[in-house]
Amino acid sequence: MIEAQQLTKRFGARTAVDGVDFTVAAGRVTGFLGPNGAGKSTTMRMIVGLDRPTAGSVTVNGKPYREHRAPLREVGVLLDAKAVHTGRTAQKHLLAMAATHGIGSARVKEVIELAGLESVARKRVGGFSLGMGQRLGIAAALLGDPATIILDEPVNGLDPEGVRWVRTLVRRLATEGRTVLLSSHLMSEMAQTADHLIVLGRGRVIADAPVSEVIARATGSAVRVRTPELARLAQAIAGADVTVTTLDDGAAQISGLSSEQVGDAAAAAGVALHELVSLTASLEDAYLSLTADDVEYRSGAQSAQEVAR
Amino acid sequence: MSTTTLPVVSTVRSDARLTFGGILRSEWIKITSLRSTFWSLAIIVVLNLGISLLFASTMASAGLPAGPSAGFTLTTATVGIMFGQLVAAVLGVLAMSGEYSTGMIRSTLTAAPSRLPVLAAKAIVLFGLVTVVGLIALFGSWAATYPMFAALDLAVGLGEPGFALALIGGATYLGLIAVFALGLGTLLRSAAGGIAAALGVILILPVVLQLLGIAVEWVRDLVPYLLSSAGESMGSLATDAEASGTLEPWAGALVVLAWAAVSLLFAAIALRGRDA
Repeated sequence: MIEAQQLTKRFGARTAVDGVDFTVAAGRVTGFLGPNGAGKSTTMRMIVGLDRPTAGSVTVNGKPYREHRAPLREVGVLLDAKAVHTGRTAQKHLLAMAATHGIGSARVKEVIELAGLESVARKRVGGFSLGMGQRLGIAAALLGDPATIILDEPVNGLDPEGVRWVRTLVRRLATEGRTVLLSSHLMSEMAQTADHLIVLGRGRVIADAPVSEVIARATGSAVRVRTPELARLAQAIAGADVTVTTLDDGAAQISGLSSEQVGDAAAAAGVALHELVSLTASLEDAYLSLTADDVEYRSGAQSAQEVAR
Repeated sequence: MSTTTLPVVSTVRSDARLTFGGILRSEWIKITSLRSTFWSLAIIVVLNLGISLLFASTMASAGLPAGPSAGFTLTTATVGIMFGQLVAAVLGVLAMSGEYSTGMIRSTLTAAPSRLPVLAAKAIVLFGLVTVVGLIALFGSWAATYPMFAALDLAVGLGEPGFALALIGGATYLGLIAVFALGLGTLLRSAAGGIAAALGVILILPVVLQLLGIAVEWVRDLVPYLLSSAGESMGSLATDAEASGTLEPWAGALVVLAWAAVSLLFAAIALRGRDA
C-alpha cells in the first residue's frame, strides 16, 4: 500500500506536485494518469526516495521507502527514463542489483526467463532496443519479488506480444494481492488493465475513483435513438439537462438521460423506437475531458482548433 | 520473442535484506563487469612496466650511481606513477559519473536508498582494486628491470630498508587517487567535469603554486602538501625526504589520505541531500 499525504515537490519556482493525497490499495491495479508534466514521474520518484519531497510525505507499507530493511522486497520500480549502465550486460546488471539484498543468481535467472531475455542476457545493454530495455527494467522491478510494483510507462516500445505480456503480468500481480501502480498514456491499454484510476493535472489529483466511475462522471450518459417521430420524442423527454442532437445518419443522440429513461418516456408517449443504444464513452474521451484544463504542453494542431472555436 | 507466464514459485528468500556486505558485493560486480575498468587497470600496469624498462635501458647513458642505490632503483620502478595516477583518477571519476550519465544511479539508489553506503562501498572496492593493481605494476617494474641493474652490479633487493615499503606506498597512492577522484565524480556527476577537476588538482595546481611561489614566499611551503607532491613522498625513501625538503613517506600518506577524505566528505554531503 502506498499513502501520500500533502505530498509536494517544487523545483525552483515550478510546483511539480502540489499537495496531493492518495492511497494506492493492495490487490488491484491502480492506473496513474495525467498529461505530460502533471507530476506522475516526480511522484513515483518520491515514493522510492529518489526525489525528496518539499513538503508532505509518502509511505510504502507504512514506512518511508528508505527506512525499509529490504527496499527491493517492498517495492519494485520501473522508471520512465533508462536506469541501466549501457556498458554492462543485462545479466550483470541484475546480479549487481540482486547482490545488494543477498538475492541469489537463481532469482536473476528466473526474472530473465520471465521477461523473455534469455537470448540477450549476456549482451551489453547499450545495444538493446527500447522494448528490450523495458523488459529488462520490468525484470529488475520484479527481482525482489516485491509487495508493491510501480511501473512508469511499461509498455513504451514493446511489441504487441510484449504489451499483452505486461497486461497479463500486471493483472496477475494484483490478483496475488500486491499493490500495483501503473502509468501509461495508452488509454485503451489502461482501460483493459486498471481497476482504479488516479488522475493528476498540474500537480493536483483531479480524479481518484474506479475506472467505470471516472468514465461515467467525466462524460455523462448518452443514448442513441432512431425513431420516425423524433419531434414527439424530444417533447416527451424535454428537460433542463437534456439535449437532443440529430446525427448525419438520421438517428439522434440524447444526452442527460439513461437508455431506460428514454425508452420509458417513448413508451409512455406512444413513440415507436427503431433503435435504442446506450453509448458509453471511452476512457480516452473521459480522460481528455477531465484533463482539458490541465494540459501543460499542448500540440500545435489542437491549439489552432481552440482558436477556431 | 515469446514470454512465458509468471512462475508461481519465487526463489527470493524471505530473509533477503539490504546489507553493507551486499552493497560491497554489488559494487564489486559493477566495477568488474565494465570493459573500461579492465582497460584502465591494464594501462596502469603496461605504462609502469614500459616506462620503467625504458628508463632502465637508457640509464647507462644518463649517468649511473657509483654503487647500488635504493633511491635510484626506486625512481626507475615508480616513475610510471606519474602517468598511472591519471588513469587511476579517470577510473575513479567514471565509477560514479558513469552511473549518472547512463541513469544507473536511479537503480543503484532504489536498491540502496540510504545512499551513503553506496559511496563507501565504491570507495573501498576502488581502493582495493587499484592498490592491488598498483602493487602488481610497481613490484613488476622492479622485477622486470632487476636483470638490467644486476648486469651493471647495481641491483637493489626488496630487503633494502624502506624499499618495499616505498613500492607499497606508491601503490597505495594510486588507490587513494582513485578514491579522491570518486569524490569529484560524485560531486560533479559528469565525466568531463570530474576528470578536468582531478587533473587540475594533480597536474595544474602544482604548476600554479610554483609560479606563485616565485613571488610569494609562504606559498612555496604549501607545495609539499599538494596531492601529487605528497603522493611522491609516499613512494620515496624516508632518507631522501630530508635532503629534498619533501614530506616523509608516512606524513605524505596522511596528507594524501586527507585529500581523499575531504573529497569523499563533500561527495557524501552532496549525494545525501540531492535528488537523484
